Amino acid sequence: MAVRREKAERLADEELMPLVGRKDPEAFEVLYDRHGGAAYSLAYRIVGDRAAAEEVTQEAFISVWRSGARFDAARGSVRSWLLSVVRNRAIDFLRSKAGKAPKLDFDDESVLEQRPAAERTEAEALRRETAGEVRGAIGNLPGEQAKVIELAYFGGFSHSEIAQMLQLPMGTVKGRMRLGLEKIRGELAEGLA
Amino acid sequence: MSGSDHNRWSEDLAAYMLGALTPAEVTEFERHLDGCERCREEVRWFEPALHALPESVERQEPPPRLRAALMAEARSDLGEEGRERRGLLPDWLRAGFGGRGLRLATGFAVLAFAIAAVAGYEIGKGGSDQGGGASTLVTQEHGIKVKMVREGDGGTLHLANLHQLPPDKVLEAWVRRQGTVEAVPALLVPDRKGQAETTIADMSGVDTVMVTEEPQGGSETPTGEAIVTMSVPQ
Repeated sequence: MAVRREKAERLADEELMPLVGRKDPEAFEVLYDRHGGAAYSLAYRIVGDRAAAEEVTQEAFISVWRSGARFDAARGSVRSWLLSVVRNRAIDFLRSKAGKAPKLDFDDESVLEQRPAAERTEAEALRRETAGEVRGAIGNLPGEQAKVIELAYFGGFSHSEIAQMLQLPMGTVKGRMRLGLEKIRGELAEGLA
Repeated sequence: MSGSDHNRWSEDLAAYMLGALTPAEVTEFERHLDGCERCREEVRWFEPALHALPESVERQEPPPRLRAALMAEARSDLGEEGRERRGLLPDWLRAGFGGRGLRLATGFAVLAFAIAAVAGYEIGKGGSDQGGGASTLVTQEHGIKVKMVREGDGGTLHLANLHQLPPDKVLEAWVRRQGTVEAVPALLVPDRKGQAETTIADMSGVDTVMVTEEPQGGSETPTGEAIVTMSVPQ
């Protein structure tokens, strides 16, 4: 029997997931209400088109609905897991649209340009303070580190593709990825301190 | 695990977490990860940074129709529990068999009209000597040739150019009469030439004939996509 909406709203994400796994529509609805906005935003950030973002978000949530039992609490939060599902779907969408992996001759600047202009500005009003901190951590990255992280995470490019695109040795690309993540991680740790 | 070996893999760690390794590299890296506690520890340390990336994007409001469509799809899944062909039935048809006959009738009519308009059909008078004679409807859809021969109160549905079905599948014909969809009792089994036929004993009031792929033994209601839809003039 489906739990009532009010009861589902009081449950933590991790408590909702077993209910979603048992096909409880109220639990699924609450899950969407909590994370649908972030999921859609991420999809839009990656695919750069509202209709495609809708499609990607819907596919991602339906895959969660149909395989809710796959969530493993030991590997992170429900939200992180959900957003990784969305990210993978969105990258798949980009690749299928390109007919294969993203084009190697794709200018990295044009990857950034295809995002909505507002998303490239750093002065964004985010709802939550933590999101603001996160943006700050990423916004403070040196440009070359931000670029490789951008191309990998939001563009779906492999390190070798990025190396070719930016005409850099692969070791340099991997190094910048690592330094960038280290810096974000460090700033997040400071923010929590 | 030697320090130098760990350092070699450690260079790939950020690329791994960002999804920037090839599938083969991922497999190799994860094999190493299984046996390297230092790398696993680094992965755990980096995780908050990785999880921060999707949170960094500008917030967009999803359109309300997305939530509605999602919940409709989820709820329609529940209506299909026990069916073997989940996800293949069009939403409008699925909803129709959930007890909302009007929606089914409307959807069916729209689809039939669309197919008739696109594929077109011809009506030829045959030379049958049964009563008022026979009429033949011919159409083609998805490469399948469809011929419906009406004789007296009944009719025969002939299909040609059918692909060979998996052993656990059959074709099932359906008729719509006064808004109600009924199964045609005799299932369609393609022969070696890709042809199949079934008899519809009572064609009175039938305005649409449809064929779907169904599990062996047939279904009580259509569960697959219509591979053929033919409207029948009254």
